[in-house]
Amino acid sequence: MSELQPIHERKHIWRDGILLIVALCIFVWLVYALDNSLKPTFNSTTLALTGVLLALVPAFIWLAFFYIQDSVEPEPKGYVFAVFLLGGLLAAAIGIPVVENLFRVSHWLYTNTLSAILGGILVVGFTQEFLKYAAVRYSIYNSAEYDEPTDGVTYATAAGLGYATMLNINFVISNGGVDLGAGMIRMAVVALAHASFSGITGYFLGRAKFESESIWWMPLGISLAAIFNGIFNWLLGIVTKPTISLSGASDNAWLGLVFAAAVALATTAAVLALTRRNIQALKTRQGE
Amino acid sequence: MANKQGSFGDRFAEITVVLVTLIALTLGGMYKSSVENASSPFEALGVSLAAPKGWIQTSVRGNDIFRATDFNSQGFSTTYNVQKIAVASDATALDIADAVLLDRAQALDAFKVLDQSEVNDGVGRDAYLIHYVYVESNPDATHASIPSIVRGADFIYLKGGYAYVVSFQADDKNYNLDLDRFYRFLESIQF
Repeated sequence: MSELQPIHERKHIWRDGILLIVALCIFVWLVYALDNSLKPTFNSTTLALTGVLLALVPAFIWLAFFYIQDSVEPEPKGYVFAVFLLGGLLAAAIGIPVVENLFRVSHWLYTNTLSAILGGILVVGFTQEFLKYAAVRYSIYNSAEYDEPTDGVTYATAAGLGYATMLNINFVISNGGVDLGAGMIRMAVVALAHASFSGITGYFLGRAKFESESIWWMPLGISLAAIFNGIFNWLLGIVTKPTISLSGASDNAWLGLVFAAAVALATTAAVLALTRRNIQALKTRQGE
Repeated sequence: MANKQGSFGDRFAEITVVLVTLIALTLGGMYKSSVENASSPFEALGVSLAAPKGWIQTSVRGNDIFRATDFNSQGFSTTYNVQKIAVASDATALDIADAVLLDRAQALDAFKVLDQSEVNDGVGRDAYLIHYVYVESNPDATHASIPSIVRGADFIYLKGGYAYVVSFQADDKNYNLDLDRFYRFLESIQF
């Protein structure tokens, strides 16, 4: 057991989360506007390379905010980056092969509403959320640097963004590149969604480390994140369902981004409120 | 801050997380099987079978009596086809196989026979099996995809003056993964 230290609340983590959402939406709009006005032409190699670079943008924005603001309440940046990488590696080595090759979700997940929800939660949700949890639980969690309840949110978000980045890179490579505008929207949606669900797992990890929770505490956290993950993807499919009218077809990708940003803001606010309440309770107990 | 790492409760909670995830994935796998194996009865011209649910049954031509396609599969859409062909009473399975091969060679690009042999299917019926491969230049409805390599298997049965040709065609990447499901379909066919 380590010594009892005063509890801090790394307030910049919440600012980073909200800034990520806002900055990502602005960046997507910029890419979309530039793509529409300049109409750049790419060959297959430069298209794939541009796609991969764009896939890195959401993580880069979050890490940039984190680095700038963390000077006040420092967290080892090497560890944050390592957890980000670990999230991406677990996605590439286990997550994507399990979901796409072992369970072959594209063959049956969209058969009907029930399969989209149940498969989305039980297969996609649990695989992804468990791996993001594992990226934190079996690396930094036992380190002395993991010394605040909010560290759970920080490291889980890093793992989630790493996972999302790898999903986006995989999407770009398997499609041989992406359309800049629509592709960037998709990548932003994936990054915001994974950062949000990881925030939930991070909150549960934060409390699991510093409080005596029941053995169901962490499974509950993973399950909640998996349920949110599955329901989010099902709702996203409904929101972005193409509309066909006399004037042509519209893919509704922007609605998807608005929906993802709203979910990310709501999740960040909920995790923030819960963590603050928890920290206040811990401070009160320490005062006693 | 107080650090309670390494406690017995922590270790137990960790195992519980793994167990809950494994249970969820097992349930997900069972649900996947139930969705994939769901079928509805089909009957025409004395042939009955369990048609895969969720697949699109496309219009039949010539000797076809059943044709279903899984548009959710990636690349070339996995397709099952059942034909009933009237044959001479002294026709052998090899004669029918030659006719089927000639027909395929004329209709399909880069058609190659991989192997052919007499087999016994999963429910003990004698059949003549042909494995083949060809290139499909328009693997999906968009006509904007790269051509796919398609692998196929034709099971030829002879019964009561008719030849029944049951075909399975899938993208090369999906062929082995889709095979078990096709065998279940094959076993459901009664003629």
